[in-house]
Amino acid sequence: MDIELGPEDLAFREDVRSFFAENAHKAGEDYNVWRLDWFKKARDKGGWDVPKWSAEFGGPGWTPTQHYIWEQETAQATLPWDMPFGIGMIAPIIMAHGNEEQQERFLPDIRGRKVNWCQGYSEPGAGSDLAALKTKAVLSDDGTYYTVNGTKIWTTMAQIADWIFCLTRTDDSGIKQEGITFLLFPMKQEGIEVKPIITLGGAHSVNMVHFTDVKVPVENRIGAEGKGWTYAKGLLQHERTGLAGISRSIVALENLKKQASTVKRGNGSLMDEPTFRAKVAELEIDLMASEFTELRSLASASAGSAPGPESSILKLKGTEIQQRIAKLTVEAGGIYSAAWGKPVGHKFAKGGMGGYLASRAFTIYGGASEVQKDVIAKNVLGLKRSSK
Amino acid sequence: MNFDFSQEQQMLQDSVSRFIQDNYDLESRIKSAGSKFGFSQDHWQTMAELGWLGLPFDEADGGFGGTQIDTMLLMEQFGKGLVLEPLLASVILGGGALKRGASTELKAEILPGLIDGSRQLTLAYAEEQAHFDLHDVTTTARSDGDGFVINGHKSMVLHAATADQIVISTRTSGGQIDEKGISLFLIDADADGVKRDNFPTVDGLRASEVTLQDVTVGKDRLIGELDGGFAILNDVASDAILALSAEAVGAMEVLYKDTVDYTQQREQFDHPLADFQVLQHRMVEMFMEYEQCKSLLYRATMEAAQGSSAAQRSVHALKHLVGKAGIFIAENAVQLHGGMGMTEELRIGHYFKRMIVIDAQFGNADYHLGKFAA
Repeated sequence: MDIELGPEDLAFREDVRSFFAENAHKAGEDYNVWRLDWFKKARDKGGWDVPKWSAEFGGPGWTPTQHYIWEQETAQATLPWDMPFGIGMIAPIIMAHGNEEQQERFLPDIRGRKVNWCQGYSEPGAGSDLAALKTKAVLSDDGTYYTVNGTKIWTTMAQIADWIFCLTRTDDSGIKQEGITFLLFPMKQEGIEVKPIITLGGAHSVNMVHFTDVKVPVENRIGAEGKGWTYAKGLLQHERTGLAGISRSIVALENLKKQASTVKRGNGSLMDEPTFRAKVAELEIDLMASEFTELRSLASASAGSAPGPESSILKLKGTEIQQRIAKLTVEAGGIYSAAWGKPVGHKFAKGGMGGYLASRAFTIYGGASEVQKDVIAKNVLGLKRSSK
Repeated sequence: MNFDFSQEQQMLQDSVSRFIQDNYDLESRIKSAGSKFGFSQDHWQTMAELGWLGLPFDEADGGFGGTQIDTMLLMEQFGKGLVLEPLLASVILGGGALKRGASTELKAEILPGLIDGSRQLTLAYAEEQAHFDLHDVTTTARSDGDGFVINGHKSMVLHAATADQIVISTRTSGGQIDEKGISLFLIDADADGVKRDNFPTVDGLRASEVTLQDVTVGKDRLIGELDGGFAILNDVASDAILALSAEAVGAMEVLYKDTVDYTQQREQFDHPLADFQVLQHRMVEMFMEYEQCKSLLYRATMEAAQGSSAAQRSVHALKHLVGKAGIFIAENAVQLHGGMGMTEELRIGHYFKRMIVIDAQFGNADYHLGKFAA
């Protein structure tokens, strides 16, 4: 048991740092050209463009320590904009459950950041109770295509997405987890309507998406008909472990401390106020513990065993920490946090409120905290599904 | 970086775990706690024979050269059984001070007996006015000829009644709360002028108020430099916090797991209690706090074993979290056991009481939050 980085790990960290430094975006450089070039260079480093992919599919095959180093370094650097839906969410499903033809058809464009994906899971009547979804897919008589009708909601970035991976119902005769089929189809086609939903921070990132007689060839079905729930559950695991954001929170907390130090209080700053200081300290302690919970989880994953019980708490703890940082940032801004649109007062106050409002979603999406607790109760503590 | 235990460490863990399973059912513990010394002399001898009393000492001093990681493994298992034997007092506290500051001669005189179980030590560091500050010391040691004369009062000295020697913090110069000017001495527990007022603590352990009136001690009994005892005291306290936190983590595991078991058996409203979501979520929170404490325990212990400069801050963080989470888990374990949680019949209540005492030892959650934030 030790926490020292070995010589190879230190060398790896240096390598990562110099890669980020050498390839940072330069003033005046065309962003999109730089972005695609960055991913190409990362690919040439041996799969750094897809850190979490297995070596079999072109990933770097890092050790847990290397993943940890990468997380730490990426939290401090400015990387090109990227979305999780392709690389982090649908790709692992296609690798695990797609056929060879599908892997060849979809994975290269996902890796090249050429296609934007969105996730068609939640519906107006199926939120935390995802398996209650009703979007219907009916197989044609000749068995060559499905006709999809229904509505999805909270579809992040549907407005720019080229493709959607979508849970549909092909059979409602059995229990609701059965009869769900996993389909992939293009977003820019007749029968698909995207309506923006504006959230509390004023941003447009989520949408309502209506499907009317959308035709999807059977070649776009992942795995077997009716087995989509099983594949989706695996994806939710991927999504949840990625949502803790521990390394980013460490950087965010340091920023919060710096910001609060610029807020004058008497002869000192807000950071000298015992109540504020204590809240920051408690937050930092929880974060220090969570950092090691993540390391323990990484270590057990690398030992080849199933993720240990500690990994189940990461999404819950991690998102709660992100929310507490966002909230303290608003507190630090004081009354200036209330200004909307026009930057006045403390420099950080403007972004603070938007960040805080948006952060309230962290404990709702990807499985609300209460659902996460149900899952831990069942899978880790071995308790029956609750009756009330 | 890795979280694996070595083969020797796994063997240690197994052997302690087996000892607890074989010897530490609730009834035996209650009997032991009520006996004359408050613990079992037989168990103490077994612990010596198994090498546990020599774990943190250098091989040159007859020990096993273990680190804080080995102590952690031992203490986590101790926490599962709420072990009564004075290993913390004798080995970690008294022995820890000697290990860090005693002369070769003094070590050679004392440590072999400590390691073979024939000699028992403790540490007298607390004073009534000091709250949790190790550097608030009014007990004086006045230079007198070839030695020193000690006068003062020490509080809550763990297992002093059965101790042969006591390591004591005294003021030899400076003001009441100065870190400089504190000196550590090893005195005989039955020396002239030492009065021990012995009593049980709420968790079933033993402690004493110790008054010292013109107690003479030779300068060869000085541990560390004259006026330079604080650094040793502080390091010993850090080790004690790590050990207590490991014990607490072991106890937390019992508390949450017993609660999960009990609520599955107890039926109310035609359902096992564990069917109710409000109770499920409470138990999930108990489990999460336990895992977070374990993570921070690993972090602080590994940093300390490696001599990292980050260790001190992590120790403060750990003691804060363990105090806060330990009481949260323990109070909820009692709550979910209902009336039965209030009785001495179930072990839950005993773990609860130990958790309250652990929070108060070497600084409680608030105290360490303040230190961490400073």
